[in-house]
Amino acid sequence: MSTAKCAAKFVTVLTLAGVAFAAGDARKDLHFKVGKHPAISINNPYGPVVVKAGAPHEVVINAILHSDKVEIDQSQSHNRIDIISHLLQGADQYSGVVEYQVLVPADASLSIHSENGPVHAENLHGDLALEGGNGAMEVLDCGDGHVHVKTLNGPVTISNVRNGHVEVVSMSGDVSLNSVSGPYVAVNSNTGKIEYAGDFGGEGEYSFTSYTGNIEAVAPAYASIDVTARSSQGRVDSDFSLEPKHTPFYAKAGSYFSGTLGKAASSVKLMSFSGKIHLKKRQ
Amino acid sequence: MNCPEFERDLPECVEGVPSPEQQAHLNSCPTCSGLLLDLNSIASQAQMLSAADEPSAAVWNALEERLWSEGLIRRSAPAYLPAEVKPSFMQRWRAAWLVPVAAALAVVAVVKLYHPANVGDKNPVATQSQPQAQAPAPAQSARLKHKPALSHEDQQWLSTVSSRPPAQLAKFRSDLDQANAFIEDAQQSLQEDPNDVYMQQMLMNAYEQKQMLYELVVDDSSH
Repeated sequence: MSTAKCAAKFVTVLTLAGVAFAAGDARKDLHFKVGKHPAISINNPYGPVVVKAGAPHEVVINAILHSDKVEIDQSQSHNRIDIISHLLQGADQYSGVVEYQVLVPADASLSIHSENGPVHAENLHGDLALEGGNGAMEVLDCGDGHVHVKTLNGPVTISNVRNGHVEVVSMSGDVSLNSVSGPYVAVNSNTGKIEYAGDFGGEGEYSFTSYTGNIEAVAPAYASIDVTARSSQGRVDSDFSLEPKHTPFYAKAGSYFSGTLGKAASSVKLMSFSGKIHLKKRQ
Repeated sequence: MNCPEFERDLPECVEGVPSPEQQAHLNSCPTCSGLLLDLNSIASQAQMLSAADEPSAAVWNALEERLWSEGLIRRSAPAYLPAEVKPSFMQRWRAAWLVPVAAALAVVAVVKLYHPANVGDKNPVATQSQPQAQAPAPAQSARLKHKPALSHEDQQWLSTVSSRPPAQLAKFRSDLDQANAFIEDAQQSLQEDPNDVYMQQMLMNAYEQKQMLYELVVDDSSH
């Protein structure tokens, strides 16, 4: 092979590599030093956000930007960090995607807004506020902090969360709570269905309401609850033999049940306008 | 101008410019403004149906034959009119075929918006021991008959997100209608029993959903 041909090939390879690099994803790594209980806010219109517990006093953010039509705005003020995926002119749901992998101190408070991407939070003990339009919201193995989730259409899964307030508002996204307990657990859904599997522990108040979505709660035989279930137009069933109790509303036959189980430590309200309600006994 | 007077003149408003009097009524009446909005939407959708979608002549002929055989129409125009002057029944109806299509679209839209596939319980309410429980609740019946009117705030809110893609807008509208339907049903139930503490809670939840919808969509629009 002649020297000229070799040189031409070398230049071609270099050029193609340069084009590929320019057109490909860009990676950005951010590091912040923080004190106790930092507050971190992430606003990402498109793309996933995954947050896990990392080292104390440090926030590490690895971001992959899918194009040059989006940039990351960052600011730190004392113990507060704000991260915004700033969409530039012409950005859309593809070119505006930023993928975040975030490590925060376990005691951090987190506020995440994602229009379309999924959000995952794991092993955290601070307060969590998650808002989204269509992406899935997942909270796993968290405790001692409040968990607030608002979603329009994305499904919500909260698993193994204890000892905090859990509040979920959803329009059409399904909501699934698994081993969730605390002093206050509330789900407010329009058409999305609500599923709960757990023991209603914590001597708490559990309130699941929907407009048309079905509600299904699965509890063990040893559950200690004072439960009221009512659907104005849907079917209501219970697998448990409950001790009857007085209800503060006109009781239409077949569309409600109310009673206690065990020592009735927790209050459980299952309410729907036209969805079905089923309190199941865990086998 | 009141609502019956407006409805009497409604055909002039559809796809047209309302008179000052009609506009004044529209500004003050969310029900009529919502109705006009829907009718304009249906009319614009119907216009998008191209002539190519028109059924073939054979279909019209078969339909005409069937109507004749059932005595619903007369066979021919008066003999003193030349054929090119007096259009036939079918010719007239070919021009007007969009009317039933528009009506069907309206029915489908109402049913889809207010009774989506996963709405409610397909089975009767569980074990009935009281006969009155068999009847459908008035609130639900009302909800299926007419969609909740958009308030002035709702219309303003929709206008703030009007630059969004049509599919997103349709979803916003659907969510808004669902939230409004929830509010309306809870309010109607409370009218029947104002002391129903659980329905009071449901009403607050319905408003919370609507507030969330406002917040999230407007937040997203600010990007």
